[in-house]
Amino acid sequence: MESILQVKNLNISFNTYAGEVKAIRGVNFDLKKGETLAIVGESGSGKSVTTKSIMQLLPKSNSEIKQGSEILFDGKNLVELSDKEMEKVRGKDISMIFQDPMTSLNPTMKIGKQIAEPLIKHQSFSRKQAMDRALELLKLVGLPQPETRIHQYPHQFSGGQRQRIVIAVALACNPKVLIADEPTTALDVTIQAQILDLMKNLQKKIDTSIIFITHDLGVVANVADRVAVMYGGKIVEVGTVDEIFYNPQHPYTWGLISSMPSIDADDDELFVIPGSPPDLLNPPKGDAFALRNRYAMTIDLEEEPPMFKVSDTHYAATWLLHPDAPEVEPPLAVQKRQHKFRGNNHTEGDVF
Amino acid sequence: MSEKLLEIKNLKLYFNKGKKNEVRAVNDISFDIYKGETLGLVGESGCGKSTTGRTIIRLYNATDGEVLYKGENVHDTKNKSKTLEFNRTMQMIFQDPYASLNPRMKVNDIIAEGIDLHGLAKTKEERSKMVFDLLETVGLNRDHAGRYPHEFSGGQRQRIGIARALAVDPEFIIADEPISALDVSIQAQVVNLLKKLQREKGLTFLFIAHDLSMVKYISDRIGVMYYGRLVELTTSDELYRNPLHPYTKSLLSSIPFPDPEHERSRVRVAYDPDDHSYGENDEVKMREITPGHFVLCSEKEFNEMVNSSKATNQF
Repeated sequence: MESILQVKNLNISFNTYAGEVKAIRGVNFDLKKGETLAIVGESGSGKSVTTKSIMQLLPKSNSEIKQGSEILFDGKNLVELSDKEMEKVRGKDISMIFQDPMTSLNPTMKIGKQIAEPLIKHQSFSRKQAMDRALELLKLVGLPQPETRIHQYPHQFSGGQRQRIVIAVALACNPKVLIADEPTTALDVTIQAQILDLMKNLQKKIDTSIIFITHDLGVVANVADRVAVMYGGKIVEVGTVDEIFYNPQHPYTWGLISSMPSIDADDDELFVIPGSPPDLLNPPKGDAFALRNRYAMTIDLEEEPPMFKVSDTHYAATWLLHPDAPEVEPPLAVQKRQHKFRGNNHTEGDVF
Repeated sequence: MSEKLLEIKNLKLYFNKGKKNEVRAVNDISFDIYKGETLGLVGESGCGKSTTGRTIIRLYNATDGEVLYKGENVHDTKNKSKTLEFNRTMQMIFQDPYASLNPRMKVNDIIAEGIDLHGLAKTKEERSKMVFDLLETVGLNRDHAGRYPHEFSGGQRQRIGIARALAVDPEFIIADEPISALDVSIQAQVVNLLKKLQREKGLTFLFIAHDLSMVKYISDRIGVMYYGRLVELTTSDELYRNPLHPYTKSLLSSIPFPDPEHERSRVRVAYDPDDHSYGENDEVKMREITPGHFVLCSEKEFNEMVNSSKATNQF
């Protein structure tokens, strides 16, 4: 499938009083046309910084995208675009839904005008045309009584309704790429389910590609086609949603997956990832996860693992995949999942 | 089951009572909490679950109803020493570990505040020994005692909050969304800690949350709230296997599980309160469908549910 967006060797640092924080340390991925790529990881792993750099929303004053970083979209390297050129991409070809619907709308502006704004700016719609389109969009995102509510202010809506409005703004110009940064984290489960369904339906209708950032693995299982797991400013594992959930290879992914109770949970104790995330002021020398990893080997402390190929779609950065590495037993919860995976796909014993 | 530790009877909490903007945050709720169990309370934001917890511990004064602790009405007592004793036996862990610790107090003073208040330590040495022990119990170490809250991560702060609650040797702890503000990997650490403490100290928990998969994992029984009312109460297994109230069904059908196959086959049910179409004479109250399984329903719904559960039991 053709790639719509490619991120190559992305390195980003923040300059702070304490020194240089290496927030993103060599991230590579591509987004394919029409797919949903979920990026998961704990706070501070670099998920949001990665996507903000795609939108070129990082503050110029203290952040630095390193030489050699490439974000390729539509034949252009977004990193090298001027602010003026970037304005033509932002909100038109690539748009974003933020986490908190309470703060991402302008409280002093009627919602209709907020939806019409990108249309007037990017598509040179007249005010009248833009308002008509805004009404259409509100219908599309399923807001009740759009004719009257288009003239209301954000505070007159509930959290779920506001997120629908934010989605309408983001979709106004039929973007090719939609970045959703924890779009449902601030919402209740019942509302979350509605918004996820809405996003999936809209994706089919307008044929856009989505980068979905979240730390909720349940949401990932629901929306994603592919999953990238981030840790310490790097992607440590990437694969299809089935590969990540049923055949994870990286010990960090094991930890994430087995620290959540399963549906038929009878586990006495949840698997715990000990310790806390690495300090990116002084990133560790070897594998950033090594100190929290009970499967760590000597080499993990000395040398960073490269991406090992598991299948055509599945890669993981762990020395455990090296041919010389010893066999290890993943946590029980992961073994159960792997069993299911093999059962479904009959890869075991297959002759290639 | 073992003895009742806490009985909540017809508890009501109205904000702006009698005014035009009256809010019935807790609307006639009754349930019991047994010694040594974990009762989960779930529902969407604004359903009154936190208010229920806060009313039980008397951060709000109940509009009406009773909270009986070991058979005694603890909210009405005028006896100061009894109130103090009640405050000691019942403690709370708050949702936001950033907001619930005083940023200007050192960790040992935060933890020892209750110890001082109740005069549990006779000497300074005893006081710091208690603090050190508590820090170790929650998986921190004694070096942490002299630091300020901002020097800790979210998970560590929540551990400090837990240590503070444990300091006065309580029997009953209300945990109001104690893990919602934490990362997944840290959530598991805190949940395991709570479970361990319960085993070792025989604690009773009221666990308030909206993350249903964690609630199911930690709770023995679960109560589901909707618009200030308790709509269903039963054991956690039964709730997941056989939800009866339509709101519970809708809630369960919207939780995403970390399992792609399960997600692909999910069928979401929406809940519309108008579907009940209660008549004026219908008495809507908690009724016991099967032993230990309570549902808020009318007489007619009750009969339907009893019949259908009989039918399922025959298979």
